Amino acid sequence: MSFFSLIIKNPFRNKTRSALAIVGIAIGIATIVALGIITDGLKASTEETLKAGGADFSIAESNVSDLFFSKIDEEYIARIKEVDGVNDVVGILMAIQRVEDNPYFVLIGIDPAKLSISNIKVTEGRAFAAGDAKEVIIGKVASEKLNKTVGDTITLNREEYKITGIFQTGDLQQDGGAFLSLENVQAIENKNDTVTMLYVKIDNDAQVEEVTAKIEEEYGNDLTTIASLEDLASIDQGLQTIDTASWAISLLAIVIGGIGVINTMIMSVYERTREIGVLKAVGWKDRRILSMILGESIVLTLVAGLVGAIMGIMGIQVLLALGMDSFIAPVYSADVFIRAFAVALSVGLLGGFYPAYRASRLPPTEALRYE
Amino acid sequence: MNKENIVEIHHLQKSFDHGKITALNGIDLEIKKGEFVSIIGPSGSGKSTLLNMIGALDKADTGSIVVSGNDLIHKKDLSEFRSRKIGFIFQLHNLIPNLSVLENVEIPMYEKKMSSSQMRKRALELLEYVGLSDKLKRKPTELSGGERQRVAIARALANEPSIILADEPTGSLDSKTGAMILNRLKDLHEKENVTLIMVTHDMDVASLADRTIRVLDGKIQN
Ligand SMILES: Nc1ncnc2c1ncn2[C@@H]1O[C@H](COP(=O)(O)OP(=O)(O)OP(=O)(O)O)[C@@H](O)[C@H]1O
Ligand SMILES: [Mg+2]
Repeated sequence: MSFFSLIIKNPFRNKTRSALAIVGIAIGIATIVALGIITDGLKASTEETLKAGGADFSIAESNVSDLFFSKIDEEYIARIKEVDGVNDVVGILMAIQRVEDNPYFVLIGIDPAKLSISNIKVTEGRAFAAGDAKEVIIGKVASEKLNKTVGDTITLNREEYKITGIFQTGDLQQDGGAFLSLENVQAIENKNDTVTMLYVKIDNDAQVEEVTAKIEEEYGNDLTTIASLEDLASIDQGLQTIDTASWAISLLAIVIGGIGVINTMIMSVYERTREIGVLKAVGWKDRRILSMILGESIVLTLVAGLVGAIMGIMGIQVLLALGMDSFIAPVYSADVFIRAFAVALSVGLLGGFYPAYRASRLPPTEALRYE
Repeated sequence: MNKENIVEIHHLQKSFDHGKITALNGIDLEIKKGEFVSIIGPSGSGKSTLLNMIGALDKADTGSIVVSGNDLIHKKDLSEFRSRKIGFIFQLHNLIPNLSVLENVEIPMYEKKMSSSQMRKRALELLEYVGLSDKLKRKPTELSGGERQRVAIARALANEPSIILADEPTGSLDSKTGAMILNRLKDLHEKENVTLIMVTHDMDVASLADRTIRVLDGKIQN
């Protein structure tokens, strides 16, 4: 039997204790994984919203805590258009409305002539008309959920809208919602002459950095430009908070998991005192005993990492099944799992080191006398 | 130093609890290569302590002890010495409960540069020698006391030691099983020319040895 097999075998001697330790750590890991999947989804869809299709960058109100609260006077559309290098500008107004049993149905108001600057492809039917015609296009996901298609009607804010088309962007949040004219959303939200964000398309020979710099210089008091997810993270406290929270949770998982592992491994070493004496008597070096115990601890936490990752994914599936699918768009990136396993590994190393060191330093005669 | 002596001990002293308990109080002892020596004496007289000194499980306070050419007072890497030279057999077999008979015998071989298949081959030979070829996959709890002690003998032989140290190897066995274990050990001593040092309470058992040493109050009686 290889030394490696021996290390793998040992943690499962006391099944209950190991299982408890594994569950404890796995819960931490599951939280990290689930949170990571949600955050990545949020970032991806936010990025999608920002860089929508043909736009080169976006503009939001400066100093807002969340992008969603951004309010820009419609006048700025014309002003930004005047900036050197700007080719086209479109303003959008985002709103959330209850539609049937979905309380978080996303409405985006936009000038239908400018749909191309966004990433929207109308796959069935046609785009809605401009102005106050009660027309709407809905996403593919929304169409499936609501079981409605072109020609049907949908009630928004107690008014009937005719569905003129179905679109698809690939972004879950948008595909679960609807697009309609800016005027209609402004009326629904009671926000005349206001938009949430501006999408800007620049001239072919212009540079994003130069154009954004100009805008920041001229309108920096009221507006902020967002050309990347980093720009967004610096203004969007929601994303910042989630990022901080997931780091804090990772740290907490390491500390709590580490204490659990120390406890489990100390118990295990304590119970095996005599056995460790025997291993020394047959000529095992201190270092081998250290590697064995440390190895066992890492086996324990890696198993917990695996269990935790599965639990995290299952947790997300449960959330989706419970109807959160309209605002969770899970993104399963390798990053999340690498982070989870890095946490598991550090817990194993940190938690295992002290018990392993203690075991390796046991005087053999004392260990053999131990009853 | 006499070349024939595998163990040479002079004025060896060992105390515990910061000098409150004197376990060895000036031991002088020479054991020849290939000799079978039994150590007897009352409980608490220091027999196990002496055996542990020879096996480098513990360090003495003063005096000198040279085993198989190694100065154990000054030697740094005692585990390496134990691995190469010593095979221990304890009163209680001390097998590892979650490992099979075969795996228990492989345990000492991890410190050698041996492949898994070499380890397995050697363990199989040893278990055949102690007559347990048919119980390789059993766990220690599924064996009788005598069988466990035979596994312990096989384990002690794993690294081809020059000295076997046995601390009351038959102490927890009935007399018939004990006799069988002793035969095994005596056979080993006679055929393989292994030096055998055995602590026992039993005068009959002690008389099987080439020589019997009496320990009393941490000293050897002449
Ligand atoms: N690690 C230790 N710590 C403290 N005292 C010890 C230790 N090891 C041995 N002693 C003491 O040293 C003395 C000799 O002990 P030792 O175990 O060598 O006796 P023994 O002759 O083997 O006895 P027994 O026949 O009962 O096994 C005893 O008084 C014992 O209590
Ligand atoms: Mg004893």
